[in-house]
Amino acid sequence: MADFFAPLRSLFEYVAEFPSSIALRESQYVMPWVFVLHVISMCMFAGTILMMDLRLLGVGYMQTPFSQVQRRLFPWQMAAMFLSSATGLALVWGNPMNYVTNIIFWMKMMTMVIAGVNALAFHFITEYALVNWDTGPRPPFGAKLAGGLSIALWANVIVSGRLIPYALTWFRS
Amino acid sequence: MEQYFIDIASWSVSRAINESPWIFPLVQAFHLVALGFLAGAVLMVDLRLLGSGFSQQPIARVARDARPWLMGSLVAMVLTGVPQFISLATKEYSSPYFRWKMLMLLIALIFTFTVKRFVAYAPEGRFGGGVTKVVALVSLGLWTSVAINGRLIGFFS
Repeated sequence: MADFFAPLRSLFEYVAEFPSSIALRESQYVMPWVFVLHVISMCMFAGTILMMDLRLLGVGYMQTPFSQVQRRLFPWQMAAMFLSSATGLALVWGNPMNYVTNIIFWMKMMTMVIAGVNALAFHFITEYALVNWDTGPRPPFGAKLAGGLSIALWANVIVSGRLIPYALTWFRS
Repeated sequence: MEQYFIDIASWSVSRAINESPWIFPLVQAFHLVALGFLAGAVLMVDLRLLGSGFSQQPIARVARDARPWLMGSLVAMVLTGVPQFISLATKEYSSPYFRWKMLMLLIALIFTFTVKRFVAYAPEGRFGGGVTKVVALVSLGLWTSVAINGRLIGFFS
């Protein structure tokens, strides 16, 4: 385990010495508000992603064609992704050593990568034949799979995000 | 009033939650997953009221489609919120953020099930874009303040 973290540790230690990192860490009020903004942007991101996933599963917003759901939510999803990434980066920037050996943090990062691959796979494979099911009552298996996986993966990201601080007491390395 | 909160915190179920190393964290985590669904259901209608979102659909149609997810996520929020409250009742009693959250939650719920519901289900075109936009912004502001105060409970108490 220690070997796995070794190259990352030096990078995170390097960031931890930046004046901006020290300033963030020592500020009493900035960090709590970055956490608040991270939660608000999570609401915007998860909200617009999960509702689109429900449409993919065929269980929500069925009166709206999928293409419209996707097109109208996409700008909000991207804006929210930007905001949650920026606030998330600030959280790690301010306290790098809290995260570098935190197994739950790395699980969250890996789950986000898998969720991204899932979204791209859907975009390049299943969405290709969209005209066949855009307005139909039953999305094809590929769409349901993409929607179900997306909900499971992003729920995992939220859960592991919340559990990051508990890793310190749960797993002692 | 304070004694009532102390009594709640001393319930055996409250103490059981506190004594377990993982129940409280997991309940918190699922509270946030439910928040994602709640935010989505609220946003779909508010974005539509703002003239964005599914703007080719009538407002009432979007509101009807969002409704089961709104109700379901609210139930999930309460089911995951109550265990957190009872296990920390004495702390919540003295937290200004908890009081603000409950007050804003009450206002947000009343607004959602009266004004917003009335405007969303009104015959299409009954209310102008100005009215629907104000309703959406008030809704977004109220629910955002609930979330902000909720997060702050954990920081300052």
